[in-house]
Amino acid sequence: MQNDPIALVLDDLLKLDDILACMVARRNMISVMPSGDGFKSEVHQIWDIIHRAMDDVFGVIGAYSQAGLGEMDFRLQDYEVLFYVFPDTETALVAIVPALANKGLIEVEMENARREILKIMGAQDKARGITVPA
Amino acid sequence: MIESKLEAAVGMSRKWDAREAGREVARNTIKQLSRPPNFFLLFSTIHYKKYGGFQEFLDGVWDVLPKGTPLVGGTVVGFLNNYGCYTRGTSALAVSYPNMDIAVGYGRKTKSSPEYASNEYARMIDYKLKSSRYPYNFLLNLISGPELFNLPGMGYKKIIKSKKSANLGIFFAEIMQKIGKKGMPRDDEILKNLTKKMPDYSSLSGVLLDDFKFLDNYQFLNNDVLTGKLVGLGMKTDLSFDVNTTHCMKETGINLEVTKIAYNGWVIKEINNKPAWPEFLRLLDWNEDIILDESKLMERMMYCPLGFKRDGKVYPTITGIVVLGDSMVTAVRTKVGDKAAILNINGKLLVESVKINLEKYQDFKPEFGLFSSCITRLITLGREIYSLRDILLDYFNDKPFLDIYVAGEGTYSSREKRLAYSDMSFNSAIFGSKNNSKI
Repeated sequence: MQNDPIALVLDDLLKLDDILACMVARRNMISVMPSGDGFKSEVHQIWDIIHRAMDDVFGVIGAYSQAGLGEMDFRLQDYEVLFYVFPDTETALVAIVPALANKGLIEVEMENARREILKIMGAQDKARGITVPA
Repeated sequence: MIESKLEAAVGMSRKWDAREAGREVARNTIKQLSRPPNFFLLFSTIHYKKYGGFQEFLDGVWDVLPKGTPLVGGTVVGFLNNYGCYTRGTSALAVSYPNMDIAVGYGRKTKSSPEYASNEYARMIDYKLKSSRYPYNFLLNLISGPELFNLPGMGYKKIIKSKKSANLGIFFAEIMQKIGKKGMPRDDEILKNLTKKMPDYSSLSGVLLDDFKFLDNYQFLNNDVLTGKLVGLGMKTDLSFDVNTTHCMKETGINLEVTKIAYNGWVIKEINNKPAWPEFLRLLDWNEDIILDESKLMERMMYCPLGFKRDGKVYPTITGIVVLGDSMVTAVRTKVGDKAAILNINGKLLVESVKINLEKYQDFKPEFGLFSSCITRLITLGREIYSLRDILLDYFNDKPFLDIYVAGEGTYSSREKRLAYSDMSFNSAIFGSKNNSKI
């Protein structure tokens, strides 16, 4: 959705050279994508296999997120896929980066994006709470 | 009392457009002050090069900042302030205080002639502040950082196995450094000379860079965007302050001696009278295959820096940042006969070094703080860098602080007559008042 504030956060993340794709996702579902043209073209040819691997990883996230699982990542061919799990949920901020990328620098901005998305989600939950009749 | 006279503020912007970001960082900073600032420190990541350029960025700042405000700064890998930790964006720190005289200056030819650069800079600052009546002196030194060579036929490779190519690479690097086009920052020579020229000035230093690619970096001085320079700010004030450097590296008990060098000491050719790189791997008990993945070279080398002993203290430096045949490039120059210990670090000690650094200021009431930290700390800690910010927030409460991530850093204490420069360190300059003291 064009005005989805979470999509705008993802747009910002996608502008970084080393972020080839990013999304908010859970098993079998991508909840929010960046608002523009989608992922960078480099990812298209490997997307199918990465997507399948992601779903398997979400199985592990689903099993352990309540136990405090916060982060996962895997390397597939020349790419790394990073998962920043939202606490006590089965949803994660996911990014695909080149394996040669400087992960330390990317991690800082992934964490900033995660914090911003959590704030937005909190505000959305609160707004829903206000509109729900007593 | 200081509180009623001193105002300090830190601001930032995360906008992508250079002009808008410049306006926003200036606006967000000075709106917190009720008077024009005495000075404005400005730092940004390299991203604005692609989104309008740095002159446009600086012009945006000057759309808002009062004309004539002394401004210095430059490009950094990231920064940390009261608002968070960032590897994209811009941040500024501004101070307004009546009992403070400020001068900004520059020095040219840092890579080819560091003595010339530091002399020019020292003359400029000293001249402008010579009539100041305030007793305490401080320098913030920002040095143009390392710029890798695009080696003919080899590009920007970090591991060059062929000894013939490696020797050619070293020869090419020496030429380029001499003509000042690219190369190492020579910050150690600059800082040593500054402590001779301005021994009564304590200082905080940082080597500027891009996003860890070491391709280019920029310095800001008033209205100008510069390259290849030393820029900085001199201050004379009645404000108390102190400086400190910590790193928390542990010695592993593995020691070595540098026995042959090249490229003015940035290339170690032999350790213990044996070819350097194979000997270094043997001392670490590392298989060469571990290092064959060039993308992981720097990350792995960060965990085993060399600690060179100076004035009874150990100063870490990352070595093996580029491997040339059997030689290795080191971030701080060495000389034949230098003895070093292989050091070790982990995330917990990186965080600990901040707590230990702040212990020096426990009897201090801070008004604002400036820090320079090694990029390797940011890269190693990643998202855990937020735990450092929490420590600083706890110490400063609502007072502003700004920590810039740089490629070489240090402090000089005029009181202790001690110059500390190294890699992987955490460096502070905290201004305020000592508890129970009157200014």
